[in-house]
Amino acid sequence: MYSYIARRLAFGALTIVGVSIMVFVVMRILPGDPLVAIFGPEGMSKLTEEQRANFMKDLGLSDPLWVQYFNWVKDILAGNFGRSFFRSENVADMILRRGPLTAEIALLSVMISWIVGIPVAIVSALRPNSWADSIVRFVSILFLAVPGFWIGMLIVLGLLFWFGYRAPMAGAALFVDPIANLQLVIGPAVVLGLGQAAYIARMARSSLLEVIREDYVRTARAKGLNGRLVISLHALPNAMLPVITLSGVLMGLVLAGSIPVERAFGTPGLGYAMFTAVSERDVFVMQNLVFLYAVVFVMLNILVDLAIALLDPRIRYQ
Amino acid sequence: MTVIHPADPLLPVAPSRLRTVLAAFRRFFRRAPLSAFWGCVAAAIVVMSVAAPVIVPYPPLKSDFRAMQKPPDEKHWFGTDQIGRDTLSRVIVGSQASLTVAFGAVLFGTTLGALWGLACGYFGGRFDMFSQRLIEFLQSFPDLILAMAIAMALGGGLGTVIVAIAVTRIPFGGRVIRSVVLSLKEMQYVEAARGLGASHKRLMFRHILPQCVAPYLILATTHLGVAIVIEASLGFLGVGIPPPNPTWGNMLSDALNSGLVPPWWLVFFPGAAITLTVLAFNLLGDGIRDMLDPRLRGSV
Repeated sequence: MYSYIARRLAFGALTIVGVSIMVFVVMRILPGDPLVAIFGPEGMSKLTEEQRANFMKDLGLSDPLWVQYFNWVKDILAGNFGRSFFRSENVADMILRRGPLTAEIALLSVMISWIVGIPVAIVSALRPNSWADSIVRFVSILFLAVPGFWIGMLIVLGLLFWFGYRAPMAGAALFVDPIANLQLVIGPAVVLGLGQAAYIARMARSSLLEVIREDYVRTARAKGLNGRLVISLHALPNAMLPVITLSGVLMGLVLAGSIPVERAFGTPGLGYAMFTAVSERDVFVMQNLVFLYAVVFVMLNILVDLAIALLDPRIRYQ
Repeated sequence: MTVIHPADPLLPVAPSRLRTVLAAFRRFFRRAPLSAFWGCVAAAIVVMSVAAPVIVPYPPLKSDFRAMQKPPDEKHWFGTDQIGRDTLSRVIVGSQASLTVAFGAVLFGTTLGALWGLACGYFGGRFDMFSQRLIEFLQSFPDLILAMAIAMALGGGLGTVIVAIAVTRIPFGGRVIRSVVLSLKEMQYVEAARGLGASHKRLMFRHILPQCVAPYLILATTHLGVAIVIEASLGFLGVGIPPPNPTWGNMLSDALNSGLVPPWWLVFFPGAAITLTVLAFNLLGDGIRDMLDPRLRGSV
């Protein structure tokens, strides 16, 4: 087990290094001249030669690329995520302020996806091809196709139109003002949760259908165990393993999906900050946020792998 | 048009190409009527987007200042936006951007990934190990975030959006085709061809590649829907194809920018268009997958 953990962590570290290089290449080298990315081609032509040189020097852009890369890594290791170019806001502060909201949304949405997806999968796996199964399959196919941010916009509009309700605009911390906080996160969490629930239900259904056919389930039935117990105690735990893995993969969907969904709801989370950074073409904030999201995604997947190893001895002893 | 001759019963008549294609379609309709129906919807959407310049009721970029922000009525079925542009026309023209990007990105990304996977699986060794790490790095980014970063770095536009989404499709093509190639490589007919002295190029492209067509097609169709959603999200976040050219994503973004409370028809119709298109391509993809590879039935 320990060697498995060590190996997984080492791979994770390597991946994070690779990811940092990739972020650097995409955000700093691809745009050609970073000043063009910041000011746009029009603003660029208004700058004098001297101003350009000054900006380049201030931003540390006149160093060789590998020096820039190591400076960036050094800054991040020191917890210094730089400043936004446009609002002189400290990015580390912003992440600490806005991050918890997005983390809450992500966590809540995963819970919703399991609470909705698993029971639905059980119903449809126990009676495959029944009308309930057909409805579940159709709805889950529909949910895979609907863009979450669109549903978000419709929900906001509908609530406003029929109930005259709008979620508070300002941020609210979970422990300071739990009710305002819940109003902020529940909308995005439901939208993202239902989107994931469709995947979870599909995966849990096919995984359950496979497990139900196994010998040990038949043995449990044959010894006269109550059908409900057979499913909940024998079949379900084994059927959950691929679902847990899928949940980790779906974190990518949640992390990325929360960007447009937070914009649709106007939630002041990290996703909204990402949207602001993109629309302001704030290269440095974007670079750090993209890296942060990728690192979180990698770490969550390591956690999922470790959880699976903990639950499944077959993997642990490989 | 084919001319039907009275067939000479003594001569074996090769079935015409058209007829085999038609037969395949008929089989598809009989075996998977639902997928076939949605396939027709997808085809209708493609036709609509090709014929867009002819069928739009109003020019999509022209404002009518006498009809600004009008709810749907008999003149403007989907209403008009803040500066009096017809929403129906913009939704129709918006399909062009969506489909061009989706087809372009999937074709480009999946093909590149498939060729990379072919090389990885065939050559193996250090090249394969290096490639697998690179693919892992690519997959460490959530799709949309990688596409956002690339689209932002390259600046908005049709070409950059295609490239941005294509890059996120590469790992899938690489992974799937590589595993297919790994098992094909050990087949006896490949060994026989190698024994006859076939070159690497010949082995790869004449003997192994044709067997990869089915998984490639499955992969490409199932990823069309994803590509459409990513394109719409990029447009919605303002890094897609820039306005005034309408795309479904930037129409939704415009609606949100227009004020605190966007009118419902500006929100409903573009999103419904995305949903319908993605649904059609997903279900068509499911049908094609079931047809070409029954083993994969029911998997995500």
